[in-house]
Amino acid sequence: MGIQEIKGKEGIPEYRNRKRAGQTEGFQESLLQNLESKKRQADAVRTEGHLRRNDREADAGILGARTGVRVNAVTPREAVRPVEVRHMSYEESDNIEIAVTQGYTLKGKLDGAQVYVEAKYEDGRLEAYLVDTAKIQEKTVHRIERFALETAESVNG
Amino acid sequence: MEQKFEKNERWNCLTEEYQAMLYRIAFSNLRNRADAEDAVQETFLRYIRAEKSIADREHEKAWLIRTILHICTDMLKSSWHRKTVALDESVTAGAEGIWRPYQVKDDETLEAVLQLPIHYRNPIYLFYYEDYSIQEIAGALNEKEGTIKTRLRRGREEVKKILTERRP
Repeated sequence: MGIQEIKGKEGIPEYRNRKRAGQTEGFQESLLQNLESKKRQADAVRTEGHLRRNDREADAGILGARTGVRVNAVTPREAVRPVEVRHMSYEESDNIEIAVTQGYTLKGKLDGAQVYVEAKYEDGRLEAYLVDTAKIQEKTVHRIERFALETAESVNG
Repeated sequence: MEQKFEKNERWNCLTEEYQAMLYRIAFSNLRNRADAEDAVQETFLRYIRAEKSIADREHEKAWLIRTILHICTDMLKSSWHRKTVALDESVTAGAEGIWRPYQVKDDETLEAVLQLPIHYRNPIYLFYYEDYSIQEIAGALNEKEGTIKTRLRRGREEVKKILTERRP
């Protein structure tokens, strides 16, 4: 019964977007454009979410606490540059932050126009940064940047 | 004569370098100034007796920490401590007159750390307040590095709990 119905040509509605004679790649092009714009939108949403999460983590000071995540890798900020760890003691530091509940300590020392910051995390990782305080935005929420500003202020009064 | 002078010099350097640190560690365990001073004295006495067997400076430091922690544990286990109720001194009062390389900005957290059970308290105190590495703490406490990491993580959770309970 079904076969009989299909056989009747008049019963089959014509496909709206059928490529007609003489028509080139218009349909294909518009389809590709649509797909591309959707991909761009999805990428934008994903990037925004990623940055927002990083800001939250930086604010909470837990950026480096996640295994394998490094501050420079997730927050490409010009002011903060990763450098070699100097193993600076508390005695040598100008400023110290002990954050037991967040699992890290920060030590800072003014180094010319920059601030050297050494971070020690609960899992044993040591990371060091040179922070150019002149490049820091005034209302920054980035933990390392804020600490560098505090250090510079504590030394310069 | 010269040998004696050298020994005295070395002794002076040693006490100058470690006295404050040892006192802070002892106080974090005993929470009593007089007991902490006794523990420091006892540690140095034991060092004089054992000096020949200590290999180098790093071992020396680890040995001193390990010894003072043992002394503190023994003091806490002693019948005197078990039978008496100590008047807890506050962190700031106990630390008065003792040099620290920094100012404790958050007394509340330090108080919470000092309330932890001993197996969490010592790793946390040494890691955060004395700036020791996990490797150094493991050496001083005769534990594996993995054990110290676990204690640091769990101890931190305990500190959070204490602070949450305190806050209305």
